[in-house]
Formats: sequence, structure tokens, C-alpha cells
Amino acid sequence: MSTATDTRVAAGSGSHADSDQSVGLAKAGALARLFAPIRTHLVVCAVLSTLSAAAGIVPYIAVAEIARAMLNDPAGAGAAIWTWVGIGAAGATVWLVLMVQSSRVGHYADAKILHELRTRIVRHLGALPIGWFRASGSGRVKRAMTGDLEEMHEVIAHALGQLTGAVTVVLVGAGYLFSVDVPMALIALGVLVVMGIFYRISMRSMTAHVNRLIVADTRISAASVEYADGIQVVKTFGTGGRVLRRFDDAVDEHTQAFAAWVAEVRHSSAASRLFGSEMAVLTAVMAAGLAFVSQGSLAVADLVPFLVVAVGMPNSILPAVTASQGVRKGRMGAANIERLLSRPPLPEPERPQKPQGHGVEFDQVSFSYDGVTNAVEDVSAVCPPGTVTAIVGPSGAGKTTLTSLLPRFYDVTAGAIRIGGVDVRSIPSADLLGSMSLVFQDVALLRDSVAENIRIGRPDADDAEVRRAAVAAHIHDVIERLPGGYDTLLDGGGGSLSGGERQRLTIARAILSGAPVVVLDEATAALDADSESAVQEALATLAVGKTVIVIAHRLHTIVGADQILVFDNGRLVERGPHDELLAREGLYARMWAAQEGVLA
Amino acid sequence: MIRRLYRLWPEPKLLARLWLLTGAQAVLQGLLLAVLVPVLAAVIRPEPDLAAATPWLVLGGIGAVAYAVLSIIATPVGFKAAGTLAAQLRRRLMRHVSTLPLGWFTAENKARLARGVTADVGDAAHLAVTVAGPAITSTLLPATVVVVTFTVDWRMALLFCVTALVAYWALQRAARISEIAEIELERAAVGVAGRAIELGQAQPVLRAAGHAEGTPRMHAALEEHREVYREGMRRARRPFFVYTAVIAGGFVAALALAGELLLSGRIELAGAIALLVLAARFLEPLGNLIELIGALRAMTNKIGRVEELLAAPALPTAADPVRGIDAADVEFSHVSFTYPGGDSPALRDVSLRCRPGTTTALVGSSGSGKTTVTRLIARFFDVDSGQVRIGGVDVRELDPAALLDEIAIVFQDVYLFDDTIENNLRLARPEATWDELEKAAGAARLDEVIERLPHGWQTRVGEAGAQLSGGERQRVAIARAILKQARIVLVDEASSALDPENEAAITQAIANLGDDPDRTVVVIAHRPATLAAADHVVSLDGGVVIESGTPDELLRTGGAFARLNRQYERARHWRIANHG
Repeated sequence: MSTATDTRVAAGSGSHADSDQSVGLAKAGALARLFAPIRTHLVVCAVLSTLSAAAGIVPYIAVAEIARAMLNDPAGAGAAIWTWVGIGAAGATVWLVLMVQSSRVGHYADAKILHELRTRIVRHLGALPIGWFRASGSGRVKRAMTGDLEEMHEVIAHALGQLTGAVTVVLVGAGYLFSVDVPMALIALGVLVVMGIFYRISMRSMTAHVNRLIVADTRISAASVEYADGIQVVKTFGTGGRVLRRFDDAVDEHTQAFAAWVAEVRHSSAASRLFGSEMAVLTAVMAAGLAFVSQGSLAVADLVPFLVVAVGMPNSILPAVTASQGVRKGRMGAANIERLLSRPPLPEPERPQKPQGHGVEFDQVSFSYDGVTNAVEDVSAVCPPGTVTAIVGPSGAGKTTLTSLLPRFYDVTAGAIRIGGVDVRSIPSADLLGSMSLVFQDVALLRDSVAENIRIGRPDADDAEVRRAAVAAHIHDVIERLPGGYDTLLDGGGGSLSGGERQRLTIARAILSGAPVVVLDEATAALDADSESAVQEALATLAVGKTVIVIAHRLHTIVGADQILVFDNGRLVERGPHDELLAREGLYARMWAAQEGVLA
Repeated sequence: MIRRLYRLWPEPKLLARLWLLTGAQAVLQGLLLAVLVPVLAAVIRPEPDLAAATPWLVLGGIGAVAYAVLSIIATPVGFKAAGTLAAQLRRRLMRHVSTLPLGWFTAENKARLARGVTADVGDAAHLAVTVAGPAITSTLLPATVVVVTFTVDWRMALLFCVTALVAYWALQRAARISEIAEIELERAAVGVAGRAIELGQAQPVLRAAGHAEGTPRMHAALEEHREVYREGMRRARRPFFVYTAVIAGGFVAALALAGELLLSGRIELAGAIALLVLAARFLEPLGNLIELIGALRAMTNKIGRVEELLAAPALPTAADPVRGIDAADVEFSHVSFTYPGGDSPALRDVSLRCRPGTTTALVGSSGSGKTTVTRLIARFFDVDSGQVRIGGVDVRELDPAALLDEIAIVFQDVYLFDDTIENNLRLARPEATWDELEKAAGAARLDEVIERLPHGWQTRVGEAGAQLSGGERQRVAIARAILKQARIVLVDEASSALDPENEAAITQAIANLGDDPDRTVVVIAHRPATLAAADHVVSLDGGVVIESGTPDELLRTGGAFARLNRQYERARHWRIANHG
């Protein structure tokens, strides 16, 4: 099914606007390029496995030669027999030793290259626009780090050795057989050539059939996922039958697609299986051999090598078929990884500048995710240092998009954003991110101790400062209650901490950093009813004296904001303080009325 | 193994036929090698006597033709088996899943199902055909050769037996060791992937701290993984070499034995040659067995996962279920319940009653048991002790379909089918008139959403309703509940922030639901407005009901509910901009 992955990847890459170079890369030997650091190891590994395979065939040749020695000179064969037993034993030993050595070199190279590639991917991630990672990168990175690397590992660990081994066995074996008797060698190898021809015929239409199967597979998967995801609806509205029918149809389609393929290739693949069997070679060798023997053109002794060595050849070829599929998969994996590594990094400024002050200015900012419609359009606003700017509007109005442009999760499509008078694109990204605290609803904790999770806000802070930040964020008491206190290790999800507590941990981090610009999502405070007020107090501490930009949902929380920016459909439609906006009786006034109506 | 495969497939005949064919081919192949013995005996003499070999050659020819015929028959049988088995197993899986209680459908189980129904079933069927065949050949062919060898020389046959036994031991050991090593490798790989994800998610803070390329701890973890990986691979491969050494040793021993037997005159020349040929044909397939180990294990793992899915217990149904109820009372009497695999009870001795025409609000902190109460009403799970009664009937006595007929669920993660708004509503009652549709939409405040959408009622909502916001999806679900005329509606109010418009609309829609005198509404309340509008409040803590009554009563008693209300009040007056 390796072609399945092939076509799936090929189909997938076309739809991505950003992967235009992917097709070219896939063809140009991504595997070889990524393996460059271990090229020497791979060559050594291949040479060793070639020698090992060559040695592996020696015991078979010894069997044949012992038989020939016995037949040619029954009386004086003793010495020759023991010599060949010795050669056979030596061959087996060398076979084994070289196999172990080749595998060791292979594994060393394998672990080395996987580590190097992982490190390279990690490094590259550090330079990519964060927006890409948030939108789609998580799954892509996971696949690159696991599945794709796994497939490349298969190439080194198995496929390479199997391929060189099979080729060596066929070449050495054929050489030996030709040295014994040319016409017989031609007949024996002819059987394998016939097999190869039928194999090619049976694989001719594979791509088209596999594509049809993939489509059916996708439908099966979609129907089962739809059923499970919608199970409450399915059960409470009794629509299970309809969804199950869709599933059955997809299964039927899969069966039919498979049957159609089978119907087409049943003869050719049966023939290729038949000619690729030991029996076919044995029959051909016996028939031709005995005919030649009776004609007197072949000594009986020379028949034995064919019974021993030629008959075993199909067995050695089969792994090569699997291995070549493995190499194809490995190539796909390598192409995926190279595509990830060739994603353009976030451009760093050539002439970095230092912001003068902490005011934030949006200057005719437009941004589009897809290059067609603008998610934010022509927004201009000034947020002076030490003031609070609230951003409000219905969902989809562009609130979150606008705030993600400030830390350069994405770069603006038109216009400019300035901090302290300097375009954010002219500030080195570490400085830019260091100048702001981002408190959003999704919390990212590190799998590290609680203390380190806070300290990452300012790596040179001492323990006392970390504690002070925790106290200010109303999380100190919670930490003290943890089994290991500040040294408790958190797993990726934050495990034993509740949503509100994790939130306060990131606020402590922000307080410690003391960054002069604070961007926060007010919904953060409403996540967890239990600790809502604690989070609110922590946020209030964080905001003191900073340039605050807040996405607000509950309007009463921002009544006192210095300015409120009201968004609708990506445009800034109203601005001003609360009272002015109410007096204007526009969108803000309507939203206010709706919300107060509920609360009243 | 074979027994497990048999149990798995409703029609194991196909598999049996395939395996019989493969087995027959392997035995036939061994017997054809046996023909070599008299043929070699006839030609290996000073004056080769082809006439003596002829009958054997004819027999061999017939055997070869039979082999070819079997081969041609077996190929399509194999294909058919792979295709049919996958289809049958897929259907069986889905049918089984449709009998499972709603509580089974967790995110984890859904992922298992998706994987099981596509990859696991497909691969298991594929492997049962492509791996089982060679495995049978690699076992039966050497076995036949051993039998044939006994007819030539018992000493060599004995040597083969010993080699096979040692090989079998090495194989078992290899399977065991590489399984352990592979689990370790898998764990290492998952760990590395986890680190990668973490790195991406934490990018903003890492970059701000100058750690864009990861913290030292992350790099240490990568380094550690490299070591685990290298060691794991070394260990996984070692038994492979042991096995290969056993085969190689067998080879050398056979060579020596054949030479010794001939030289000591205990065997004829032709016999010695035959033994050498048989040795090669015995050891080669045996040596291949180790290559199949990985694939066989993969098949076992996949079959295991499918079996696990099939073993999930279906919702038990009463022998003579009650088909309908009169009134939609919901009553809990002394209900205790612990989640499967959980260590402490989610509900303890809970008793409560919700009457038709009323709205009951459940309040409490996260983990207090609010959601569990609603799940038990809809029989996502069955109680451990006590009773949940609907209209006076224990839900376990009710026909599952009849129970779900009465219920509509409006949870936070409302699922919409990728279809139009109209069709998503019509699910609830396909024969509903336009008038009814519009009335339901109006009561659920969905009308204003529809008005805003580009194609109105005919707008497609996108996969899983992605085109609508969370609040808007809840409004669709409420409209469905109204249209269905469900007498019991379970609502889990969105706890995350909604924009003001949605918040107002949903509060209104929930109030409209409660207006029907026949309807019982149970709502997990997160908003003060919903609480204030409830007829009845049940306050839970740690799975226990700590107070219940009307909102006013509870405010007066000054318990947990009053405290919660004060918190809401304080939150209401919170200002981010406190210097305005």
C-alpha cells in the first residue's frame, strides 16, 4: 500500500498554497540530501551487508561443491569434503559477523540521523512564524517527528540492507551458476525474468486502483467519525440508520473497488507468484537438467548446484520487493520533512532598531489569511503607554486576528504596526516578544518544574522574585500545596492544576517578565468559575502601569477603559470611551443593551 | 492465534480455504522434493539410468502441474479473503458500536474507533492473507522435508529436528525480547513527539526568553531519547542474530554430517547428495521465519485492538422493556455512581426530583457531579446503586430508543452535520412544516442567525458545524429540541465567554424551553441570569447534594448557592480598567 501514501501526499500537497515547491523537492532526492551527514556510515553499512550477503551464499555453494567433489572423485573426496565444510563454516561465520557489524553501523547512523533531523526540525520551528504553527503546524510537526522519521528509519534499518543483500545474492549466485554451466544458468534465471515480467504487468494499473481505494477508505473513515462524533444526535434523533447506510455504502464501494482491481490482475499476479516460486525453478532445472544429462551435455555433478543455489533464489528476491516499497515510503517521508525544513522562516530585521517607549500604533493595518478576503481591514489606532485599550465586537469581527499581528504571529498584509515608533518588523523577534506579555485562553506550560515555568518569563530571576510573582498572581498558596512545591514537575497539560490555576501560573510568568505591553483576552478570567475572582485579581495586578490591549466579551469589565475599539467584519466601526459610545447609539450601545438586559 | 482470527470473523471459511490451499502447496512442495531422492538415486551411478527415473519424473510432473493449479486458485482466493474479511469486520464493528451506551463515546474511544474501522481492520485482513501464507509455508515445508529425510537417513532427520527445536526456542525468545524493546522504542518516539508539540505551543514564551530552539531540558530529553533509541534497537535486533546463528550452525552441522556419513560408508553417494539438497531446502524456509515475526506481531496487535472494541459491553436492555411514559418527571433516588476506571464516586446517594413544566438548575464547582447527573438521565451510563426514574419508570426498564425519544441534549460541544441549517433542524422531525420550523427557530432565537447567513436556511454549516460559532450552534440544538417536542431537555450552558448577543439569546432560548408545561428542563448553569430564572436549584459538591430549593430560598439560607451568587456579583463589578 505504499503507493497509497504516495498519492495521498501528492493530492494533499496540491491544495496547499504554501507548498508549491514540494513536488520538485520530492523528485530531487530529498532522502539523499537529508542523509548527507551519515553518507559515509551508509556506504560502510551497504558494503558490509553486500559482503555479508555474499558470504551468506557460500554455505550453499559449499553444499553444491561437496556434492560435486563426491561425484567427480568418489574415492578421493575426503580432503575436498572437509575443505568445503570448513569453507562453508567460515562463510557462515563471516556472514553472521558482517551482518552484526553492518547492523551496528546502520543503527548508529540511524540514531544519529534521527537525532540530527529532530534537532534541525526543532531549530527550524524556532524561526517559523508562530501563526503557522498555531493554524496547522501542530499536526504537521507531529507527523514529521514520528511517522515521517519512522519511515526514513525503516530505510536505514531494513530496506537498505535487504536491497543490497538481494542484489548481491542474485549477482553472486548467478556468477557461480554461470561458472558451472551457461545454458542451465540461462534457463534458471529465465524463470525469474518471466516472473519479473508478470509482476510488472500486475502492477501496471496500480495507481488508478489505489486511488479509488483511498477515496473509499476516506469515506469509510468519514462515515465512522461522523457517526461517533454525532452520536448524541444520532441516538436522540434516531438518525443512526441513515449514517450507518452511508457507512455500508462506503464499505461496499471499497469492496467493489478492490474486486475490480483483483479481476484485472488476477491472472498476471497468479502467474508472477507461480514463476516466483521455488517449485517453478525446481521444475525447470529438473526438466532441462535431466534432458541435458541424457544428451550427455551436462555432468550429473553439475546439476546439483542448480538444485541447491538456483532453487533458493526466489526466496532472496522477495525481501527486495518489500524493501523497494519501504524505500518509496522513506522518500515520501523525507520529502515531507524537507518541505517542513524549507518553510520560509519569519524574516528577521536586517537593521534591528530599538523601540523608543511602549506606545502601540496601528497604522492602516490590513491582514488576510487567504490572500482573498481581509480578516482585518485598514485599521488605524493609537494605544498610548499606560492606557487600557479594549477591543470588542461580535465573533468573527477580527479581534483575535488584530491582537495576533502585534507579536508577529503573522505579518501584516498592508500598513504597519509600531511599538515605541518602530515597526515591529524592525525589532528582533526575541526583543519584540520580550517586550510584551500575552495572556490568552490557551495556556502553554512546559514539562518542567513549576518554578521554571514561571522563571521562563525572565530567565535571570532568582527564587525570591519567582515567589513574589507567584504571590502577586494569587497562585503561591496553590503551589505550596503541591507535593513538591515549586519543584513539582508539570506534565505537558499541567496535570494536577485546574484551568484557572494554570492560567494564573502564566500570569505569574507575565508579572515576572515585567514586559511593558500586555495583550490579554478577558475571557481568560471566565474560564473557571472556581477561581474566577483570583484570576481577575491577578490580571489586575499585571495590568498596572502597562500599555494594555484587551479583547473583551463581557462589556462591563471594560467600562473604565481609556478607549474602546468596536470591530465589525474586520473593520473598526466605532471608537471612544464607554459613555461616548453609549451616547452614539451604534453597535456598541446595542451590544451593551443586549448584555445588560440579560444581567438585569 | 488462529482461534482468535476465527472468532473475529463471522465467516472464517474464506480464511480456512486460503490457509488450506497454502498448506497444501507447502506439503506438495515438500513431497516434490521427496521425488528428487529416487531420481538422484537413478542418475547418480556410473551409468545413469534415466528409465528408472522416468516414473518418478512423471509423478513429479503431475505434482508440479497440481502445484501450478493450486497456485492459480489460491491467488484470487487470497485477494477475495482480504477484501471480504475487511468488509465483514468493518460492518461487524459498526453494528457493535451502535449498541454501546453514549458514555462510551469519549474522545479517546472515538479515536480508537476511527483507527480500528479503517487502519486496524484493513491491515489485519491484509496481514492475515499476506503474512499467514508465508508463515504456513515456512513451517509446513520444513516439517515435510524432515519427514522425507527420515526415509533417507534417520541421523540427518534427527539433526533437522534438533535444529528446528532450537530455532523454535530462539524464535519465541526473539518475539518476546523484540516486543519489549519495541514498546520502549514506541514510548521514546511518543515522548519525542510530545516535546516537539510542546516546543511549538510554547513558542511565544520561549522566544521571549531567548529559548526559541528549546530549553536545555528539552535538548536533554532529545539526547536521552537518542540513547534509549540506540539501545532499544540493539536489543531488538540481538535475538535476530541468535536465530540466524542457529540456522547457520544447523547448516554447517548438516554439511559435516553428510560428509562424515559418506566417508564412513554408512550411506550411498546418491543418498548423501539427496541429504545435502534436502538440508538446503529445509534450512532456507526455516530461516525466513524470523523475518515474519514483526509482521505477525503487528497483526496480533491490530487484532487485539479490534477485539477490544468488540468487547466493549453493550447497553443492557430489559427483557420486556417499557415502551413509553406518561409524564416526563425525572427522579433520582439514592443514586451512587463511579465512572468506569475511576477511583472515587462521581455521585453519592443523590436524590432529587424535577417536575414537568419546571426548570432545574444544577450548580457546583467543576467535578461536583453536575454533568454526571445529566448523563445518567440520558443513560450514558448505568448507576451503581439507587434508581434513575423517568415518568416513574427505571431508565433501565425503558426501551433505549423510547428513552432517547423523550430526550433532547444541548451540550457545549453541539454536533451539527455538514448539511444545511434546515436539514440539521429537520433531523428532529423530518415531516415538520415550515411554520413549525420557523416557530422553533424563533423560540431558540435562531431566526436572527439565519437572517444573517448568506443563504439563510439553505446555508451549509460546514464540517461539524464549523461555520457557526459555539453559541450559534447551541441555538441550533435548542431549536432541534423544541422541534422534536422532547419532553426532557438537558442543557449544559457554555462556560466559556460568549459575545453579548449570543449570551442574551441563549438565556432567552432556555427560558422559552421551560415555558412548555409538559417539558422538564435540567440545565447546568454557569450564568447568573439562568440561575435567577430557574424554578429549582440543586447545588452539588463532591458528588453530594448539599442544598436544594428555589433560588430565593437558597439565597436566604446563605449556603453555597448564596456564596456563588456573591462571587458572580463581584465578578460583575470587576473592571480590568480600574482607573477609568
